[in-house]
Amino acid sequence: MGLDHRFTLAWVAATLTLGKRSILMKSKLFRLISIIVFTGALCGWVTPAHAAKIRIVTTLTDLADFARAVGGDVVEVHSLATGVEDTHGVPMKPSYVPMMNRADLLILIGFDCEHAFLPALLEASKNPRIQKGTPGYVDCSKGIIPLDVPKSTDHYQGDVHPYGNPHYTLDPVLAKTAIENIYDALIAFAPQYQAKFTHNRDAYLTRLDAKIAEWKREAKLLKGIKFVSYHEHWPYFAKRFGLEYFGTIELKPGIDPTPRHIEALSTAMKSEHVSIVVREPQFPEKVPANIAEQTGAIMVTLPIMPGGVPNTETYIKMMDYIVYTLVTAVQAGKQR
Amino acid sequence: MGKLPFSGVRILRPRAIKVPLDPFARIIKSSTEDLMRRVLCIACILIFCLLSRAAFADDTADRLKQLEDTVQNQSKTIEEQQKTIDSLKEDFSKQKNQVSPQRVQEPQQTNQDLQQKIQELNEKVDQVVETQKKEVLSVFNPAIGLVGETIFSYRSRGSADTGSYRPGGFDIYQRSVELNAAASVDPFAKGYVVVNASADPVTGESTLDVEEAAIQTTSLPGNLELKAGRFFGEFGRLGYIHDHELPFVNRPLVLAQYIGGESRTDGLQMNWLVPAEHYISLTLGAGDQFGGDNPPNYVGDYRQGSGLNYWGHLSSFFDLTPNVSLEPGISGLWNPATNAQWQINPANPPLPTDINGNTFIERERRLVGVDLVLSWKPLSNNQFQTITWGTEVLYSDNRYDVTDPSGSALPSRSVSSYGLYSYLTYKFHRQWTAGIQYEWLEDMQNSQAETCAESVNITWALSHWDQLRLQYTHTDNNAATGLHPDDAIYLQWAWIIGSHSHGWQQR
Repeated sequence: MGLDHRFTLAWVAATLTLGKRSILMKSKLFRLISIIVFTGALCGWVTPAHAAKIRIVTTLTDLADFARAVGGDVVEVHSLATGVEDTHGVPMKPSYVPMMNRADLLILIGFDCEHAFLPALLEASKNPRIQKGTPGYVDCSKGIIPLDVPKSTDHYQGDVHPYGNPHYTLDPVLAKTAIENIYDALIAFAPQYQAKFTHNRDAYLTRLDAKIAEWKREAKLLKGIKFVSYHEHWPYFAKRFGLEYFGTIELKPGIDPTPRHIEALSTAMKSEHVSIVVREPQFPEKVPANIAEQTGAIMVTLPIMPGGVPNTETYIKMMDYIVYTLVTAVQAGKQR
Repeated sequence: MGKLPFSGVRILRPRAIKVPLDPFARIIKSSTEDLMRRVLCIACILIFCLLSRAAFADDTADRLKQLEDTVQNQSKTIEEQQKTIDSLKEDFSKQKNQVSPQRVQEPQQTNQDLQQKIQELNEKVDQVVETQKKEVLSVFNPAIGLVGETIFSYRSRGSADTGSYRPGGFDIYQRSVELNAAASVDPFAKGYVVVNASADPVTGESTLDVEEAAIQTTSLPGNLELKAGRFFGEFGRLGYIHDHELPFVNRPLVLAQYIGGESRTDGLQMNWLVPAEHYISLTLGAGDQFGGDNPPNYVGDYRQGSGLNYWGHLSSFFDLTPNVSLEPGISGLWNPATNAQWQINPANPPLPTDINGNTFIERERRLVGVDLVLSWKPLSNNQFQTITWGTEVLYSDNRYDVTDPSGSALPSRSVSSYGLYSYLTYKFHRQWTAGIQYEWLEDMQNSQAETCAESVNITWALSHWDQLRLQYTHTDNNAATGLHPDDAIYLQWAWIIGSHSHGWQQR
């Protein structure tokens, strides 16, 4: 709402509220409504005028990092998640609603990753520019071929993702597709900045490509290494770097392990020489630590988005952390 | 063809012979006395020439012979090299004839395989495309989910002593068979329906009841949202939440009595998100019924606007820390002229009476409420640990026409009464939540009649869609209520199949 509109609305409301000759004044109810409208208009009025920057809301922090990298100084980016949350467990805070209400673009992972919080927040945001199906709804999964698409969407399989595993940004090569999608959305929204966005994107992709080459080099040690994780966050990562994803500690997605499952998993891990247990920081440490102790594997805590653990504020720092932590763990395992 | 090795051959030529002429001229011009010397010289020269001729002749012949030999040798070499070249050519052509079937036919074979595979793929894609073209009549069907909820209970007293609509003692009650359907109507609105087929407490027969059926706009300008139809009007915090989504087994007594159960209305509701940096939500609505209000329609009646219910809810939200939040709200409900005709119709259920037997006919309904939710939801692991404290206080100030047991009218009376509930839930595991609840209320018609209840419960959520809750409740009534204290144990088993959405009210 522009400043002029707010002023007009406040003036109209004040007239209705205070005017003595208004015929509408006969109704107490109408006066009450007018007071409320006046208050609301005033609230809007005292709100500082929005900066000219493109307002972007992302669901997760990796997307925020990409949006800042491509958008540069012409965008203002807020992420709903701070990084420490589970990707499926970002709380539905009403304080997110005004932020989403003013957003020009909403950038999300897609593949139903945000189903637990985004649809309700979107509805509450009352922002027609970012609703599903509009150009402001930027689904970064466009162009990604999903892994683990379930053959059945029966809940016997747990809280299964009907469109496939949504954790593709943990593969840095696929993350480039997300970056391209963000770039496309930005130039569609603000074509006047195309040269700037192109320059920013190319610069970031150059940096990322160099890091990908480094990670691939470092991750040669990880090839064929078997690992388990708490939740199935890692199929894309494992495929990219040649690890063997042995299983999950969760019984099914979103369903805690039963003692029988833990026992069966531990037995299988021992016989198959699974050497790494990955624990995502959103999940309790006790069960993964016990499994690691029982099987002789090494437990590592790995973030699933930037900010998940200290010193992983950016995507590149996070991937650095993941790759080097795993390499160190594998080296330590070999020295045992 | 390569350069033949001729370049190294040097062809030898006979050397040119130079004869000096000047000495002869001097001899001719000399004197006679030198004649002999000259003759001798000439003779010597002639001899020399003859000898030298012979010597030169021998040298040339040798050289020619050498040259011939060389040429012959080279010719032989050339012939041999030619033979070698011919044999190499022959070998090469032989090899070419032998190798080509393998080296040429293999790519041809691969190409054929590729072509065949592409053709097969094309056929498969065509089949898939054809399958997609199949007419699917249900393709636009809404998302459908079904909720089932069974309550197993034991109450220490009969319903006459407790005022419950379920019998005391052992009871099994299929409270919800709730069918939900929701979909977008068009780019401007969505529609949803909630139909419940719970068992009638008296007959046991299932009665199909449309709990909600509403259209809700999705793209109104000015941060507005309009809802019309039958829906749960927004009053307080738990008034518009379905039974199976409550944090305890039963609806709080104060909501059950003051609102009359779920806040169901046939009406119109507008929600406005105040365009500010801070979250402020305002809801206003009007409907011909709200919760357990008396049905407002009476054949032959002419209803003023004052015969409708009007309500509103203003709420906000504060992040005290990243993990702790406070959500306060205030609500109001007003029906200026409730439908008295319906109440005095003898075909309808008997009217409430006070302890003296006076009958109350509600003429005006006024209700205000304050709600507050304080939660601790750690960002990092809120699926495993959460503490929520929720409280709602309601103040009712209804006006009644009162008649004594003999039927004579007494002065109309306004009854002010308070009621509240407060609960604390602690989720200490992904599957386990413990809760305590305290309730207290004064009767709407008789504020001297007080009831309080304390409950403890534990909830075991096997998954998002399957939940068991065990609850113990002790209810105390004072003498003015005419009821007796009782104890109850409930086991609630709720489940969901099909589509389920994480609605905004479940935040």
